[in-house]
Amino acid sequence: MADTSTKSASFWAEHRLWIIIASILILLPPLSFLFQFTQDSNFCGSWCPRMFFSWRKGQAASDFFLGFARSYMGVTLVLGVLASTFFLGRYWCSHLCPVGGTMETGSRIVPKWLKINFSAIPAPPVRYGYFAVYMLAPAVGLGSLCCNYCNFATVPRMFGAAFFNGADFAYFLRTAGLINLGLIVVFGFLAKGGRAYCNFMCPIGAMDSLSNRLGLKFGRRMNVDQSKCNSCGACSRVCPTWAIEIKDKAAIDHYSCMPCRKCEKACAKGAIAYGKTQG
Amino acid sequence: MTPKNIIVFIAAAAVSLAAANTRFGDSAHAIGVIKANGGSARHASHLDAGKDAYTLIATATVIPPYRGDARITLEGEPKLDCKLYSSGPVLDLGIRRHPVFREDTLFDLQPKDRIAIWAVIKPPAIDPVCGMAVKDDFVSEQHGGKSYRFCSDDCLNNFRLNPDKYKNNAAQGKYTLAFTDTATGKRVLDIPVLLGGKEGAGDGGHQH
Ligand code: SF4
Ligand code: SF4
Ligand SMILES: [Zn+2]
Repeated sequence: MADTSTKSASFWAEHRLWIIIASILILLPPLSFLFQFTQDSNFCGSWCPRMFFSWRKGQAASDFFLGFARSYMGVTLVLGVLASTFFLGRYWCSHLCPVGGTMETGSRIVPKWLKINFSAIPAPPVRYGYFAVYMLAPAVGLGSLCCNYCNFATVPRMFGAAFFNGADFAYFLRTAGLINLGLIVVFGFLAKGGRAYCNFMCPIGAMDSLSNRLGLKFGRRMNVDQSKCNSCGACSRVCPTWAIEIKDKAAIDHYSCMPCRKCEKACAKGAIAYGKTQG
Repeated sequence: MTPKNIIVFIAAAAVSLAAANTRFGDSAHAIGVIKANGGSARHASHLDAGKDAYTLIATATVIPPYRGDARITLEGEPKLDCKLYSSGPVLDLGIRRHPVFREDTLFDLQPKDRIAIWAVIKPPAIDPVCGMAVKDDFVSEQHGGKSYRFCSDDCLNNFRLNPDKYKNNAAQGKYTLAFTDTATGKRVLDIPVLLGGKEGAGDGGHQH
């Protein structure tokens, strides 16, 4: 009997690379298609998804909410991402985000022997350590991680610079720009699976992973059928976010999983599938 | 929560905190408003002295009723080499009207427009004693493997007497990134740029 739950959703599993490429083409230079509707050319400006939710010491409430108005598209985007993740899992991160998508797609081109495997480092504590500082440091006046280390600024500007856009090029002529480029290269392009940056230091990813975990009981996620799993570990070897641990059987950490569904494809027993959480 | 996870959490937070407090003296971000009778920046932009190149990102919103064309110049002495770029899309699909940047001028600014200008600033070599920008007829002198140039024998002699006092001097001073309406000649935005200021910019590094 054909399993209809995986059949109906297999579009997302089969065509993921093309969905990522389409998202890159729509959102990033040279087209910057969606941004041009709001007089922007990248995420900086009304689409900024990172700045509005971090409160700075001494900032008046009116100024804080003015930031929401300034980045109204970014606010809409983040709320949409968090809500959809709660019910459907982190499809924004796995399929739609052009920033994470660029890093993962780029990492596919990097030869295996050059790749760095970060899976010895547990990802959630790094992520929330970073995120705690992201939120608290500006609030108590101890600096800021917001714009100085921004994946949403760096990746679009890499595309812009590749098309000889002067301002995007200038981004990389300063220390902060070069450090960001280095972070994207080391934790993105050179990382096994291309998602170490997403897993460690994306504030959107950090919030999104919390929504993913909170909505676990209510929504659809990747599930392991314990009766089919033979603990071979094939799934955990392909997971770009090193979210699968083989204890007795495979167990998925929903703080880190984004439904890229590589594990589903890798499992010879068909033990992993996307769907309503059981139990 | 295993002990390992707690240690990793603390280590990640410590590294992040150090990163959050690292300031890069070669770039700054100014946020301002363009106004018919003189707009201003929220705060001055601080850049460290002695770097090879600087990037100043100036973002501004046009306050009604201002409309017009504004020329952008970097004013101050000694003159700094300054190249300006507007942060716009690579391929303009013409979906929305927006100001056009050509040469050093923003054309067709209209109320509520938001602009982002990237200024790449290169300071000139200076006579480390008197601070004059180096000209062709300056005399040169080697010191500690580096070459220095002086406007006069006076300055050269002062340098020889006390090289440690002067050897790290680089172009610095108070500059202004000035936006001037081309029709009226009036300033519509002044952004103070302090080259050599090491005091932290009060903005907590909110810059892009
Ligand atoms: S973690 Fe951040 S960069 Fe990575 S896919 Fe998600 S939103 Fe994009
Ligand atoms: S657990 Fe499976 S679906 Fe989730 S990130 Fe890992 S490989 Fe992708
Ligand atoms: Zn002199």
